[in-house]
Amino acid sequence: MTNRKPKRFTAFLWHRRIGLFALVLIITLSVTGIMLNHTERLDLDETFVSNAWLLNWYGIQPDENPISYRVETQREDQPVNHIISAWQHQLFFDDVAITTLEQDVHGAVGVAQFIVVALDNEIILLSYEGEFIERVSTSISFSDIQRLGMKYERPVIETSEPLYYMADEHILDWDVITNEEIKWAQPYTLRDDEYQQLLIAYRGKGLRLERVILDLHSGRIFGQWGVYLMDAAAIALLWLSLSGLWVWSSRRRKMRKKKHYQKHHRN
Amino acid sequence: MKRYLYIIFAILSLNSFAAQAGGVYLQPDEFINQVFDNAPPKARVLWLKKELKKQIADILDHKYKGLRIRYWQRGDGDNRKSAWILEETGKKEPITTGIVIKDNQIELIKVLVFRESRGWEVRHDFFTDQFKQAKLKKDHRLSQTIDNISGATLSVRAVKKLARIALLLDQTIQNETDK
Repeated sequence: MTNRKPKRFTAFLWHRRIGLFALVLIITLSVTGIMLNHTERLDLDETFVSNAWLLNWYGIQPDENPISYRVETQREDQPVNHIISAWQHQLFFDDVAITTLEQDVHGAVGVAQFIVVALDNEIILLSYEGEFIERVSTSISFSDIQRLGMKYERPVIETSEPLYYMADEHILDWDVITNEEIKWAQPYTLRDDEYQQLLIAYRGKGLRLERVILDLHSGRIFGQWGVYLMDAAAIALLWLSLSGLWVWSSRRRKMRKKKHYQKHHRN
Repeated sequence: MKRYLYIIFAILSLNSFAAQAGGVYLQPDEFINQVFDNAPPKARVLWLKKELKKQIADILDHKYKGLRIRYWQRGDGDNRKSAWILEETGKKEPITTGIVIKDNQIELIKVLVFRESRGWEVRHDFFTDQFKQAKLKKDHRLSQTIDNISGATLSVRAVKKLARIALLLDQTIQNETDK
């Protein structure tokens, strides 16, 4: 029996322990780092996260309620209803995001050939299938739109003056008309299932994959403590490099001593 | 010490100036009015057929959003002049540009609305004047070299693309008229 006690806190032991502790974090750092280096090739900035847990974690919730209008269109001579919604700078055709909005919405109607959406000083034309046709500034004819309506299957605009303008069938020109027999677009309150569907569509464009990978890399996905955790991982990586070097050099030294001993004390 | 404070102040002022340099320089309707001496013709539309859409997408390097483009035109033959209001994203925000084509060449190009925080230098005449008399080559590139502006590469690229598209659209309406 010897009196030698095992060395409990050697560099090698700590190298192993810290290595095991930091393993997952270093893998995360490395993988996310490689991904971020190839953001464009991997389309990280164009891919949106649809996972409900992650979206909730990021608090992707619209601040306001959507403004919706129900429009009637025709398909094979049959009336078909669609819902046009504006929600936090996005325009939706049913639950499909169509385009971004810089102005407030003042109505949407289905007229001959088009769906017309009126903003402050612009109109947006959509096809009956929800395809984006054109965004037109109306300031050449009028501005400060208050309401959108319909007369003889054509869109009618009420301005703040108030003046009333009716478009031609191709919606290129506007003529002043009197305020008679105009059917004004009325806001539509979404049913619960319609709201939920729209919420899914809204959130679908709310969080880019690049953001998640970036936050995973920095640790911010877990809040302030996550950043410290990733700092710890980086420090651990530094420690591993240095302790690895130390272990390697001390082993090398020992091996040299051993070889020297064997050479000179063979007998 | 005071000297350093002045330098810091100057840098900060320059930065805030750069951030505010974007905006609406000219409303699109004012541009049309100016081009046609305050008596603009009625707007017309060009519906984008499949082949034209593909050509535009090739120039833009992405799909064009929209099925028709509005334009204003006056005169015929050699006196025909068309004006276009087109938009393309520089880095993140669209740059609205007004372009006038006469005799298959760019007569005027103006940046009307610039929404990005960088690259607004493209609004200046020293840049837009380079486009004057530019034509569209068979490979849909400009006949003239347009010098880049350092720090505004993406905006320069966007305006060049819009110039090529305007020439292509003008060529299309001319071909349709000739048929």
